[in-house]
Amino acid sequence: MRRIKAVIVKEFAHILRDPTSLTIIFLMPLVMMFIFGYSINYDLEKIETGIIDFSGGEISHRLIKKFSNNRYFVIENLREKYPDPLSAAEKLLKSGRLKEVIIIPAEFSKKIKNRDRTEVGIIIDGSDSNVANLIYQYNELVLLDFISDFQNLDQILKVKTKILFNPEVKSSFFFIPGLIAILLVMISAILTSISITREKEFGSIDLIFISPLKSWEIIIGKTVPYISVALAVGALILLFARFWFGVPFRGNLLVLLIFSLLYIISGLSMGILISTIAPSQKTAMFAALLSTLLPSIMLSGFIFPLDSLAPVLQWLSHLVPATYFLKIIRGVAVKGAELKHFLIEGIALAIFSFVLLFIASIKFNKNRKRGK
Amino acid sequence: MRIFYLLKKELIEIFRQKELLPLLFIAPLIQIIILGYVVKTDVEHVPVEIINLSKNKHSVKIINRIQQTPLFEVKHISYQNKDVVETLKKGKVKAVVLFRDSLSNVDKKTQRESPLKYPAARGTYMRRLCWNTLQPSVPMETMKIPIQLNYPEIQILMDGIDSNTSSIAAGYFNGIIKKYILSDINRLGFRLPVENKTLIRFNPRLKSINYMGPGIVALLLTILTLFFTSISIVREKEQQTMDTLLISRLTPVEIYIGKALPMAIIGMIHMFVGIAVVVLWFGIPIRGNLFYLLISAVVFLAAILSYALMISTIAATQQQALFFAWFSMITFILLSGLFTPTQNVPTVFQPLVKINPLAYLIKIIREVFLKGNGIEYFYKDLLALIVIAAVIISLSLLNFKRFISK
Repeated sequence: MRRIKAVIVKEFAHILRDPTSLTIIFLMPLVMMFIFGYSINYDLEKIETGIIDFSGGEISHRLIKKFSNNRYFVIENLREKYPDPLSAAEKLLKSGRLKEVIIIPAEFSKKIKNRDRTEVGIIIDGSDSNVANLIYQYNELVLLDFISDFQNLDQILKVKTKILFNPEVKSSFFFIPGLIAILLVMISAILTSISITREKEFGSIDLIFISPLKSWEIIIGKTVPYISVALAVGALILLFARFWFGVPFRGNLLVLLIFSLLYIISGLSMGILISTIAPSQKTAMFAALLSTLLPSIMLSGFIFPLDSLAPVLQWLSHLVPATYFLKIIRGVAVKGAELKHFLIEGIALAIFSFVLLFIASIKFNKNRKRGK
Repeated sequence: MRIFYLLKKELIEIFRQKELLPLLFIAPLIQIIILGYVVKTDVEHVPVEIINLSKNKHSVKIINRIQQTPLFEVKHISYQNKDVVETLKKGKVKAVVLFRDSLSNVDKKTQRESPLKYPAARGTYMRRLCWNTLQPSVPMETMKIPIQLNYPEIQILMDGIDSNTSSIAAGYFNGIIKKYILSDINRLGFRLPVENKTLIRFNPRLKSINYMGPGIVALLLTILTLFFTSISIVREKEQQTMDTLLISRLTPVEIYIGKALPMAIIGMIHMFVGIAVVVLWFGIPIRGNLFYLLISAVVFLAAILSYALMISTIAATQQQALFFAWFSMITFILLSGLFTPTQNVPTVFQPLVKINPLAYLIKIIREVFLKGNGIEYFYKDLLALIVIAAVIISLSLLNFKRFISK
């Protein structure tokens, strides 16, 4: 026990002696959280819309009013502004100043008055497919509202949509708990792998190798400081999420803590594994980035939903611990899920952590015996 | 001439590290291919559960339609009421669709037995979508559809955690249901007075890969060059070989160029390979002029390389340099508009977007690839990129000279 403590103290000294790195370790998560909390949102706030009204008359004005009364649409009347509204529309769409152009055909008002059928032409900039999708839906809602003025359509369509857990559909509910998963793996895997390879580069690892310390004592001593740093960062973000961004915490903190520890252990083990292979800090950093961080960001459902991935990648995503942890942390924090709701994910995560830890210890021990 | 010797030394140093080579050349290729499949924001195969309490034939038909689209994957259909919140908490499905017969036909008891056992939402999704100030409009001439048409009442309950997926999927549901009911009314001779004819430009099939794919190339360039260059000087500092370079007859500018050039060459190779993969593998057409794309990429590379060298001169240890590089990389990427539109960035961070070279590169790449725009649409962005690059390069050079004179 005393020997482990010595390694822990030494490792803490390493961390504290380099205040620049320490600041970055704590500052970076905060900055990332603010960027994610405020900037990374898919919410469509403004739809810049150009309207070309070839019809005129009371009914087409009513349609335009429906759009301009909606707080999402910012209407620009192209026919009043430009002599050639159609080619102006083309230019504005291409430059990205307008997201859509609505064309009301001639005799629109007259046709509706005569109970004739008519149409509305809409051109949407489809570059960003999700935005285009949402714009299309908003258009439909406005048009439906317009039509219900003439036809009792709303009594026929009895569809109600309710969004649970996140009624205001805020992106921050999605990203901020998820960010904890990313930061934990970043701190645990990258920091450990760098700290061990640095000792290798400086040759000081030999001093530890020839000491009477057992391998598991070295591993525990080396990792405990990083576990505490990771937990501190995680707690910090959780606090900010709750009190600054208003992301609810509905579940049990203790359950979350246990699974966070398991998750951190899986990251640390990856870090140790990498450090046994990588000869230099540069290689370690890059390998850690490629094997832990990128999969955790890309293949875990952190940003991109897993359901729409190709089957091979979906299968691959099951090999990424973050996939399980993300489900757990989002479930516990936002949905108030209990252990019974994510039993399978929890078991998978536990198995992962212990298998990785086991492999890492064996590899570490082997390297020590070979003295490298 | 002397600079070639330095260049040779740098290249030898890169190629001598056997472990590094696969990371430098093969990993990016794999990465871009995998990323191409991952980085899509299409909402597809959303897992849903259906609860059908309706005895209506229409509900069966609508369920059939939901089962047929690739947008949804129906995991389970049940014919009994159950606790929806519990189902969504498990997270196996992201939405539950509940069909019931219209309340008028059902006795009051079932009406009270709502499956929604969750505290009432503060503002519902629909209200958020709906217009704020809606004047009560006087119906002009009503073309009434007989209400006795007996369509089921449908409730869509979404797991709101993934806000993007849930709003888009909710729209899909509404679309499918509406389409069915409208075509059914149509069959009976009722038609909508106004038809929505929508044309989607630039990306008509709404494939997100067309939007994201070209951006990945820029992403890759940033990651690689930033990391490898940021440690180039600090490593020599740590290993004390920097002094050897300093006492040589190389001028500071030559050392600087010699340090930047190898990664610039590697970066260019990556870019060509990246573009080739995007075009040939993913079949994303280049509609615009490749020439401007290349110019922008070169300017961008110059900017990012000198930025990385600046990190390298300032940092005291490799670890610090790597952290700085990592930190800047995240900021560059997140504020670049690659994943989410830059106009959503709050005003406080907007200046950061304005000075972010990656944001301009991604904008230009998209204009060239997707819209096929000519230079007249993005000359301002290109100019801004050049100005930013010039500022970064001169700052970095100044810094480097000061470091050397110490």
